[in-house]
This record gives sequence, C-alpha cells and structure tokens, in this order.
Amino acid sequence: MTKRATSSATSRRRFLKLATAGTAVVLSKPQLARAQSKTITFLHESSFIKPFDEYVQNVLAPAYQKQTGIKVNYEITSVGSLPTRISTVAETGSGADVTMNGLLQVIQFGEKYLDVGDIAEDVGKAQGGWYDAGKEAVLVNGKWKAIPFSNIGQLMNWRTDWFQEVGVKTFPETWEELYEVGKKLKAKDHPFGFELGHGFGDNHGWLYPLLWSYGGAEVAADGKTVVIDSDETARAVDFARKFFKDTMLPDVLGWTDVSNNKAWMAEQISCTNNAESILWFAKREFPEIGKVTAQAMNPAGPKGRFHLLNSISHSIFSFSPVREEARAFMRWLMEPQQLSGWYDVAETYYQPLLHAYDNAPMWNIEPRNLPYRDALGSAHLPGWPAPASRHLAESVAKYVVVDMFAKACAGTPTKDVIKSAEAQLKGIYRSA
Amino acid sequence: MTFVSQHVPAVRRTADRRAPLKTLLDREAVFSWLLMALPLLFLASLVGYPFVYGLLLSLQDRPVAQTGTFVGFQNFVVNFHDPVFWQVAVNTFIYTGVATLLKMVGGLCLAVAMNQHFRMKNLVRALLLLPFIVPTVLSTVAWMWMLDPAFSVVNRLLVAFGWPKPGPSWLGDPTLAMISIIIINTWRGLPFYGITLLAGLQTVPPELYEAATIDGAGGWQRFRFVTLPLLRPIILIVTLFSIIFTFADFQLVYVLTHGGPQNATNLFATYAFDIAMGAGQLGLGASVALAMLPALAVLIVALTIYMRRN
Repeated sequence: MTKRATSSATSRRRFLKLATAGTAVVLSKPQLARAQSKTITFLHESSFIKPFDEYVQNVLAPAYQKQTGIKVNYEITSVGSLPTRISTVAETGSGADVTMNGLLQVIQFGEKYLDVGDIAEDVGKAQGGWYDAGKEAVLVNGKWKAIPFSNIGQLMNWRTDWFQEVGVKTFPETWEELYEVGKKLKAKDHPFGFELGHGFGDNHGWLYPLLWSYGGAEVAADGKTVVIDSDETARAVDFARKFFKDTMLPDVLGWTDVSNNKAWMAEQISCTNNAESILWFAKREFPEIGKVTAQAMNPAGPKGRFHLLNSISHSIFSFSPVREEARAFMRWLMEPQQLSGWYDVAETYYQPLLHAYDNAPMWNIEPRNLPYRDALGSAHLPGWPAPASRHLAESVAKYVVVDMFAKACAGTPTKDVIKSAEAQLKGIYRSA
Repeated sequence: MTFVSQHVPAVRRTADRRAPLKTLLDREAVFSWLLMALPLLFLASLVGYPFVYGLLLSLQDRPVAQTGTFVGFQNFVVNFHDPVFWQVAVNTFIYTGVATLLKMVGGLCLAVAMNQHFRMKNLVRALLLLPFIVPTVLSTVAWMWMLDPAFSVVNRLLVAFGWPKPGPSWLGDPTLAMISIIIINTWRGLPFYGITLLAGLQTVPPELYEAATIDGAGGWQRFRFVTLPLLRPIILIVTLFSIIFTFADFQLVYVLTHGGPQNATNLFATYAFDIAMGAGQLGLGASVALAMLPALAVLIVALTIYMRRN
C-alpha cells in the first residue's frame, strides 16, 4: 500500500514536472522563432501605379529576406488614410517600423522618427547629391528625420489640339501670356479648369506657386512674421481673379481633387494643374485624349517660376524594436540597384530627388514628363520661405491661402480677402 | 441514522453561510444595481472615457505624437477669435435647422401618404428606406455626379429649357452649395422620419377618427386635432435624434465639398477633423468638436423637459 502510494505520488510529481517543462517549451518556442526571423513592417500608401507596390512585394522584399533572413512586411494603406495610420502608430508606439511620409508628415511626426542623417548623407554622396527640395522636405530643426524618396510634381497639363486652334504651339511662358490664351480658348468653349475648392493637392499645386511668382508669401523666412499683407500678394490675387473670371468654368470654386481629372476626360477643359497621373490615365483609358495631352512647367510671374513640392520620404519610428535592422534595410533600399529598379517600374511618376537620376533612361520613356524633372529645382513646400512647421500644417489644413484666392475669385475685394487671411494666419502663427 | 446525523449539520452550515448573500441579492436595490453594472461599465468605457478624454484634450496644446501641455481655455479663446470658427457655427445651425425642418414636414407628409391604402403598399414602404440604407459615402458620390454641371441631369434639363450653358454651379456657389448639402441630407434622412412617424400613425385608434368624423371634422381638422396631438411625442423624439445626427454630420460634407467653397459648407465636425487630423492639432480640434456640446445640451434638455410636461 505504502509502496503503491509512493510510486503514484512520484508519477504525479513527474507528470507535473513534465507538463511544466512542456508548457515552458511550447511558450518559449514562438519567442525563439521570432528572435531568429525578424520582421520589418514597412507602411506605404497605395500607389496610383500598381506595379510600384508589386515591385516591393514581389522583388524587393523577397530579395532582402534571401540576403539577410529578415522579412519585410509591406503594409499598404488606402489613398488618403496614411496620415491617420501614422497617427495611430505614433500615438500607440506600435504597428510599423518604417513608414512612407507625404507632404507634411515629417514635420508632424518628426519627434517620433529617428535621425537618419548618416544614411541620407551617404546616399547623397554616392548618388550625385540631393536636390535642395529633398532636404527642405525632411530636415526638422536641422536633422534629417526622413530619407527623401521622390516628388510627385504638380504641373500644367494642356490640350495641344485646342491650343493650336488659337495659334499656340508651345506652352505660354508667363501667367499673363497664359491668361491671354485662356481668354481666347474660353471664347471657343474650351475653358481652363484650375481647382479653387477644398481638395488636398490640386488647389495648393498652383496657388502657392502663383503667390510666390508674384513675390508674395504667407510668412517670412523666420517662420514667425506673417507677411501675407503685401502689394505682391495683392497683385497675385488680382491676377487670380481675372484669370478665373475670363478663362475658367465657374464650377472650379467647388472642385475637389477628382474634379479636374473628371473634367479632363470629359473634354470640358483645355488646361489644368495636376500630377502626371492625368496623362497616365488618359493614355490608358482615353488614348485619343492621351495623344493631345501635354505637360509643362508652371508659368513664370514677375518674380520667377515656382512649383509646389509634393514630396515622399521614408522614416524609421524611434520606438521600433528593430530600429537597427530598419536602418540597415533603408541603407540597402537606397542603393542604386534597388532604388533605380523601383523608380523604373513607375516610369517617372515618382521623380527622384537625387541628381544621379537626372538623365536616367526612365526619362526617355515618356518625354512629355520631362518638365517634372526640370521643375524640381524650383519646388518648395507650402509656406516657403519659412521652414516647415506645425503652424504651416495648420495653415494648409485650414485652406487659408486657397480660400484667400477663392474668395477673391468669387467677388470679394482684394483688400478684404488679404485681411481675413492675415487674421487667420496671425491666429495660426500665434505661438511660433 | 448515523449517516443523517453526520451530514445534516454540514448542510445547515452551508445554508447559513449562503443566507446573507441570498438576502443581499433579494434586496431590490442591490440586485438592480448588479444588473445595471455591466451596461454602466460599458457606457463608462465606451462613452464616458472618450468624452472625458476629449474634454482633457481640449484643455491642452497637444500636437499629434507629442506630449501635451495644459493651456486651460486657450484653445477656446483661439476659436473665439477665429472668423472661420464663427462661419462654421453659423453654417452648422443653418444646415441643422433647415434640414431638420424639411425632414420633419416632409417626413410627416410621407407618413400620412404611406398610411393610405394603395396597391403594393409594403413594397413602396420598403423602397422608401433605400436612401437611408445605402452607405452615405456611396450615395454622396452619386450626388456628386448629379451635381456636376457637365453630367448633371438637372443642368441638362435647365439648359434644354433655355438656361445659359452650363447651368448653375451647385457646388461652386456658396449659397447653392449649402442648399445642395441640405437637400441631400433631407433626402437621406426623410425615410427615418417617414417610417418612424408611420409607425406612430398606426397606433392611433381608428375610433378617434370615426368619432371626429361624426362630430363633423373634415380631413384637415382630423389631422390637426387627432393625428398631430397623438403623434407629438414621437415627432419630438425623432426630431431630437435628427438634430443630433444632423448637427454632427460629417461624411456627406467631407466627401462632397470638404467644407468648400470658401468654407461655405464647413460644419463643426469637418472643421474639427481638419484641425485635429489634417493639421495634427488634437487639442484645438477637440475644442472645436466640443463647441457643439452646449448648443446640443440646451436643446436636448429643453426638449426633454417639454416632453415630460406633456
């Protein structure tokens, strides 16, 4: 009896031991596995050019895993949802390791990004140097908070056949010349269509350059002094009013970003300001329109020619558990072999901000896209000449400059629209 | 016997131990609170927490992804001096007021019409709900096409009748844009009113109409003195809900105009979203969103008091 009891007690103890050990093994196994194969989550907004995303999924990520054993999880967010997604990741401190940035995210989330100056500077040295615009988009308080990737330029898109009807074969050089052509074209029922409503990009895309080309700016280079109330701004506003009245469809005041594309494909307008996508889409879906679509740099004003910088860059979250691996990945990704392959699949939709690509073969695929390269030298973030700041982001989100022009076009006197823009800007730059 | 004597005390002991718990549960106050606990917890975590968090945010200078600093009522002061904030406030009141009135009158007419007997009544009633069922974003995109002068069925008709080409710019003109969003909101919200009031209409006892008819009441008098008083509580409830929904409307404006042209259609919800998510100023955005609260609270309290009195 005693012997049996002892043996059963032993076996129970053994069972418990085994069970505990087994559980420990089971629990620890995934951790071991995780430690062996690390994963970098790479957040990106869904691209207008499908092969661009596929290239990462099918070529770059597998190649990197083969080389290093580190898996790259390319997570795509829908168009427009990237800022919200980055907000969530930055606020919760998890969800992604590397992210793409749009126009203003580097400023907004800079505190949560690693300084990647070492990588960016090495890449610049090796590949012909960065465009100034590239630096302008990613430097926060003098630190590289992202590695520039490209610009998605906003340029003039025009109908060659209708321009020819009024005797114009090359795109006008100045805003005034464009205005004269526009008047003739509107009389022939081929008006212009430039967005003056609350979209995301096609409004800022031409209104900031217009303001700059007349010598105006919303804030001085110190990033504090509001300087919108100037004769230069007044001249730009006066020009916009007559440009709207005599060349455009009245509906542009209510347009959002889809509207000018829709109007272009419906053959309603003869000139607009948009990204390369309008030509891409026309060539694919409406080849007849594609044939007569050309692109040009923004016209010049009395103070020169300007473009809006609509940059894309990549940052590493400072809280990422695989920071060092992410750094190594970014270094690898920015090597010419990987980078040029990635640019190539999108042809020139993404315009490199490295001078080594100024004469890359991809520019020969569609020569009509060349102005997007030439515009890089005069591209700036909205709010220029002030450095990018959270105040600038607020001014953009509140459509201060867009609405200043739009109100004038709708009939409000120049003085009044500038005064109300000034009041708004002073509120926004209150704590600068 | 031995068996029983050994076990009975044990049973009694257990019963004694359970007794206080049982009596405790028997007490109505305790039991009802116990039943309420889960829903209360649910409310506190899903409604209370975000609300309190929003309140705290509105008192901070809190850029996204950065730690906030307490600034008291500074955000509200900034809003007070922001001309667009006041424009947004006026827009929201006009939008809510006109759309709710249209929905109330239209919904009542719809309910009375649907309460008649006609062929395929049930099918028509079901179809009426369509605007309410279709996801807002989807129906708004359809309206976007209908309001585009180049494709608009309305504009084509107007032009055909001699209106100068290309017809009115529905979303480009500030007044027309406001009218457009009010019309779309009314179109979308009408079925909610209509069906709810229809349900109310069907609870009105037919004897009352018979009695009124015998007393010599005509159609309008029957509606004015029988239908309307009986429907009043339901009208009030539906109006209350409708005002809350309309006041905080977001999707329709965000998709259709994004607050344009020149902020003519910007509402509290869209403006707050642009500041919080677009500009990354979570504190300022929260303060704009909270500015809706006093107006809504006064309205809700007033309506509730009115309903209790009646």
